[in-house]
Amino acid sequence: MDGGKTRKAKIEVRNLTKRFGDLLVLDQISFDVGEGEFLSIVGPTGCGKTTFLNTLSKLIPSTAGDIFIDGEVADPKKHHLSFVFQEPTCLPWRTVRENVAYGMEVKRVPKAEMEKKLNQIMSLVGLADCADLYPNQISASMLQRIAVARAFAVNPDLLLMDEPYGQLDVKLRYYLEDELVRLWEQLKSTVIFVTHNIEEAVYVSERILILSNKPAKVKAEVKVDLPRPRSLIDPRLVEIRKEVTELIRWW
Amino acid sequence: MAYEQVKVKTPLILRLLPVLSVLAFFGAWQMVVDREIVPSTMLASPIQIFQLFLVKWTEVNPDGALLSQHIWTSVQEAFAGYLLALLVGIPLGLAMGWFVVVEGLGRPIFEMIRPIPPVAWIPLVIFWFGIGISGKIFIIWIGGIVPCVINSYEGVRMTNPTLVQMARTYGATDWQIFKQICIPSALPMVFGALQIALALCWTNLVAAELLAADRGLGFLITMGRKLALPDMVLLGMIMIGLTGVVIGIIINYFEKKLLAGIRR
Ligand SMILES: Nc1ncnc2c1ncn2[C@@H]1O[C@H](COP(=O)(O)OP(=O)(O)OP(=O)(O)O)[C@@H](O)[C@H]1O
Ligand SMILES: [Mg+2]
Repeated sequence: MDGGKTRKAKIEVRNLTKRFGDLLVLDQISFDVGEGEFLSIVGPTGCGKTTFLNTLSKLIPSTAGDIFIDGEVADPKKHHLSFVFQEPTCLPWRTVRENVAYGMEVKRVPKAEMEKKLNQIMSLVGLADCADLYPNQISASMLQRIAVARAFAVNPDLLLMDEPYGQLDVKLRYYLEDELVRLWEQLKSTVIFVTHNIEEAVYVSERILILSNKPAKVKAEVKVDLPRPRSLIDPRLVEIRKEVTELIRWW
Repeated sequence: MAYEQVKVKTPLILRLLPVLSVLAFFGAWQMVVDREIVPSTMLASPIQIFQLFLVKWTEVNPDGALLSQHIWTSVQEAFAGYLLALLVGIPLGLAMGWFVVVEGLGRPIFEMIRPIPPVAWIPLVIFWFGIGISGKIFIIWIGGIVPCVINSYEGVRMTNPTLVQMARTYGATDWQIFKQICIPSALPMVFGALQIALALCWTNLVAAELLAADRGLGFLITMGRKLALPDMVLLGMIMIGLTGVVIGIIINYFEKKLLAGIRR
């Protein structure tokens, strides 16, 4: 994989392997992610995408292989990792603003800096109006935006997203995808975005890794060299989408 | 509250039913005693009890204290035991739910003590504390601590695991996760324990006052038995019930206030 060639490799994944007992789920996955790159990972349902992110983020131990951030073995206590889960993960006893601040609080970001960052992020994701509401007072789509805002707020070395918009309707998803790209462009985080929606992957990312069925291996890589803002009906985008679809259909 | 309470008018007859049942109950009771269907050495009538109730506000005899003094003593004992139960039980239960070491150490001992009824401690308590107030507090405490531990433990156990994972990915320490995720998640269960423990403490009061006491509602009952005065026994029982209801209402009020402040 040569994705990181043009820029410094920020993340190096080497031979990442995961077994649950006899079940091999991840089979020797290796790739690099460049600094500030937006990488998507697509794969069929149940192929091990969530397991892949969980091992990357050290939530579960890998059977073999490892992940390096800036040449060092990744460690959530040392590196800034963020994870946006498939389901919303707001703390119901905190207001929207306090929820967004949570990651920074854990990392003991100084008060003044935190306030500044909060103000910036809250207006970027359009949460400023409901800053003082509680999670049960806002809609489901808002909940996922809180998680996204919280993830970006810690200036992550690596931001992992597990189908964050999988459960939303199409229109809202388009809107949030645009918002995600805007956040990424402004805050220059390194993102690994997992999805099974090919169109979504092509629309948001710079590069796409395609995973095979279980056990998951990296089967192919596709670059998305399109200028932004992108359009879903841009023939070049449609072309790439077809290419990725073809690649997935092979197995 | 986002939703307005929908007011449904209860038919008059339905609202009268509780009043009717209570009136019928006391009426029948009064009649049973007046007609001497049950001898007066076994049961006092509601009117007699009420008369004694009025008298006992100013008359210390034959049991040695005013009714208000009995109530006050009992409330003090029950609350001291209750507060100690909360103070020890809640932190212990919370910690047992999250820290495997605490669970490993605390669980077996707790499971051993749990099935022993508080009354069974009385002889030991007399050896240890004599017959003063501390023994009574101990018995109330040991009964009240059980629901505190169980509810706090279960509350922590029921924490949504994805929230814990979320905190972990941000690099939160075990202590931070405990403080910031587990305890707030457990709070509704902990508040549940406040009510349950109080009810238990209040019920164990009579048992505790079986210990040689010279004051308290349980003592009033014991004295009633010794002096063969059924009206005194019944007055003690009714006062335990009534005071318990009043305390329950007060706790309920504070619980609502507290919960509203923490979680909307
Ligand atoms: N803790 C576990 N123990 C045993 N097997 C597991 C465990 N977690 C996941 N698996 C198995 O690993 C495989 C991959 O699961 P995973 O959730 O990673 O897939 P996914 O690609 O995220 O699926 P989806 O698209 O539905 O989100 C599945 O076959 C699952 O049964
Ligand atoms: Mg998944």
